[in-house]
Amino acid sequence: MTGTENGNRTPNRAERDFAPAAEKSPIPAGMEHLRLRVQQLSLREQLERNHFLLERLSASSARLIQTLEHGDVFEAIAEIVANLIGSEEVAYFDYNPATKNFSLAWSWGLEPGALEPFLAGAGMCGRAVEEGVSQFRERQAESVLLPFERNLTACVLLKSSREVVGVIAIFGLLPQKSALEWADYELLKFLETYAAVAIQFQRLQGSQVST
Amino acid sequence: MTTKKILLVDDSYTARLVNRMIFSQKSNYVLISAVDGKEAVERARTEQPDLILMDIVMPRMTGLEACRALKKDKVTEKIPVILLTTRGEEKYVQEGYASGCSDYLTKPVNDAELLDLLKAYLGE
Repeated sequence: MTGTENGNRTPNRAERDFAPAAEKSPIPAGMEHLRLRVQQLSLREQLERNHFLLERLSASSARLIQTLEHGDVFEAIAEIVANLIGSEEVAYFDYNPATKNFSLAWSWGLEPGALEPFLAGAGMCGRAVEEGVSQFRERQAESVLLPFERNLTACVLLKSSREVVGVIAIFGLLPQKSALEWADYELLKFLETYAAVAIQFQRLQGSQVST
Repeated sequence: MTTKKILLVDDSYTARLVNRMIFSQKSNYVLISAVDGKEAVERARTEQPDLILMDIVMPRMTGLEACRALKKDKVTEKIPVILLTTRGEEKYVQEGYASGCSDYLTKPVNDAELLDLLKAYLGE
């Protein structure tokens, strides 16, 4: 048994090693514990963020695949936008490359009469074609907007094999959603290609049925 | 860890799918689903889930009507119902609680928020 000059028993090695950290060296051990905890939370957040995005991409992809059988591509887009992005005001404008004109093909939650045709280059939606990228309201000056675009949140440029198919216009967000978030931008990027492919597929299927 | 049965009710395939993926983070949740309020009431009676997560706007029978029917029925009255909807305005929330729901969540759903709420109602 180990002892000290005043006769008190000295803790043995096992007792020293397994003693609570605070008793050995309160500040450094506490700091280390905190550092590890912060690191752990950051790693957890990374995994959760990635999972959150993949869930949404996967659900959207599965819903678009379903349209191959059901032929309901616009309903699928509406479901994705309502449930995963948070808007119940959506329109799809078809693009005619010969005339460079966009015309309304489908809308949901909006007054169709107000959604007038427009030319490439005009307003926020027309600019999407000119610049070749989707456009977002927070990056636009009020002066460039067409009258029907005042409440527009995003204009998603749909391209399949580099050809412009059309645009999805997302208007007002739901009251509980103040702005688009990082996962929304990623999901819209996914729709740029895969909604375009699904729309093209449906279009071809429609033309086969009619011939 | 005991298994918990959750009845998920939504006419949107996308919503059902994304919720299924959220629940897959928890290994002890067994999910069953229904596509409208009428089917939800029938499944709740036969399956006796631990909790019902239900959309409001649905064909045949809305979530509010289904919630009222579930609360009137001795067999299902004690099952907590969480309404899940795009309508976050105060009047819709009030209407939701008036139908007898235990809680109210708005879409788009946040994973952590949904799982925390479920844990609270399932006593985990």
